[in-house]
Amino acid sequence: MHIESTEMLWFEQHVLSLPELSELSGVPQPLLEELLDCGAIAPLEPDAGTGPRVRAGADLRFGAQALRAARTARRLRADFEFDVQALAVALSLLDRVAELEAQLRELRAQQPQRVR
Amino acid sequence: MKYKDYYASLGLARGASDEDIKKAYRRLARKYHPDVSKESDAEEKFKEIAEAYQTLKDPEKRAAYDQLGAHPAGQEFQPPPHWQQQFSDAPFSSEELDLSDLSDLFAHLRGGAAHRSARMSMPGHDYEIGVAITIEQAFHGTQIDLDLNMPEYDEQGRVRRVPRAFKARVPKGATDGQRLRLPGKGGKGLHGGRDGDLYLNISLRPHALYRASGHDLYLDLPLAPWEAVLGTSLEVPTPGGTVRLKVPPGTQAGRHLRLPQRGLPKPKEGQGDLYAIVQIAVPSVVAEPERELYRKLSDGSNFDPRAHFAVEAGHAH
Repeated sequence: MHIESTEMLWFEQHVLSLPELSELSGVPQPLLEELLDCGAIAPLEPDAGTGPRVRAGADLRFGAQALRAARTARRLRADFEFDVQALAVALSLLDRVAELEAQLRELRAQQPQRVR
Repeated sequence: MKYKDYYASLGLARGASDEDIKKAYRRLARKYHPDVSKESDAEEKFKEIAEAYQTLKDPEKRAAYDQLGAHPAGQEFQPPPHWQQQFSDAPFSSEELDLSDLSDLFAHLRGGAAHRSARMSMPGHDYEIGVAITIEQAFHGTQIDLDLNMPEYDEQGRVRRVPRAFKARVPKGATDGQRLRLPGKGGKGLHGGRDGDLYLNISLRPHALYRASGHDLYLDLPLAPWEAVLGTSLEVPTPGGTVRLKVPPGTQAGRHLRLPQRGLPKPKEGQGDLYAIVQIAVPSVVAEPERELYRKLSDGSNFDPRAHFAVEAGHAH
């Protein structure tokens, strides 16, 4: 067994095209497009255009949040056999949970601990 | 190879119907799926459930599994002679295969993913693991040792467990809930498929002094009553070293005193802030000469901290 050092990338700084998003998440591109259409996955510039341009995925760029959502979608589809509609609902609920957890973390951090 | 009781994993008896198997999987998956569950051992538990379901939901694999006989879970055993020839059309001997894990064995059977795509290119698996680091490590950056045991496919589509060790550098800028991607460090791709990625989910260990929210840090700052009233200048610990902080006169409890750029560094540039949260601390035991000073203060002060009670209570009428 050899030990290797490795390069790391900040997940948060990823900017991906639609094919790259599909490759990294393991979600087929047609399904990603459906998730895009119903707003479950959002590109970095939400006003980059809708309609045919979105369909073609031209110029659309995706960030870490989209990659996170797409990877979750892949798992939920494989493990629960979710369809697009169920995936969209689950993703938006998980988003909401993550948002609330972040708020809770912030409030907890601000809460004094050393009360006597 | 260690025997795994797939029926027990799903909480079922050996004669369970296909419908029972599906129901049990659905119930347990909902409870333990790592994306949905908050159970601490959800990841491990779900792997066990998914592995059991992958085999038992497929009639052919289930028949093959049943042929192995029932053994106590964890007991060493060998598949009966001719078992592999019976259930697999790619003949291989036990020596060829790393049979350390039962799930690897089932990946070889008819209908198994590896078998079906013997010629197709297949991307390697992505893996996600959690890594807990201290606030100091997040501040300075750190190197972590990862020892992983990853299943990999060889050219014939056979699975092997390959121990892999990395020294991975976590650059400064990490904070709770952030992820790092190690491209190509997941499972090896097959027949030209890309190598999988390894994702590290960073979490911060609890710290005796600091609490993190994003890249900002919070620190409790207890003050003596006279320090809060008169103001003072004092030394405050930060992950980057001690810093002098001016407490203005008349500082109230609960106030956040901001130390700009003294929190955790951000990945590209910039740094979070550190907030000292003021608390008024009082001595629990006060000896006589000091007690006399408090009495004098009590007699001499016309400060009414509850003046607003009377006003607000008046409004209510």
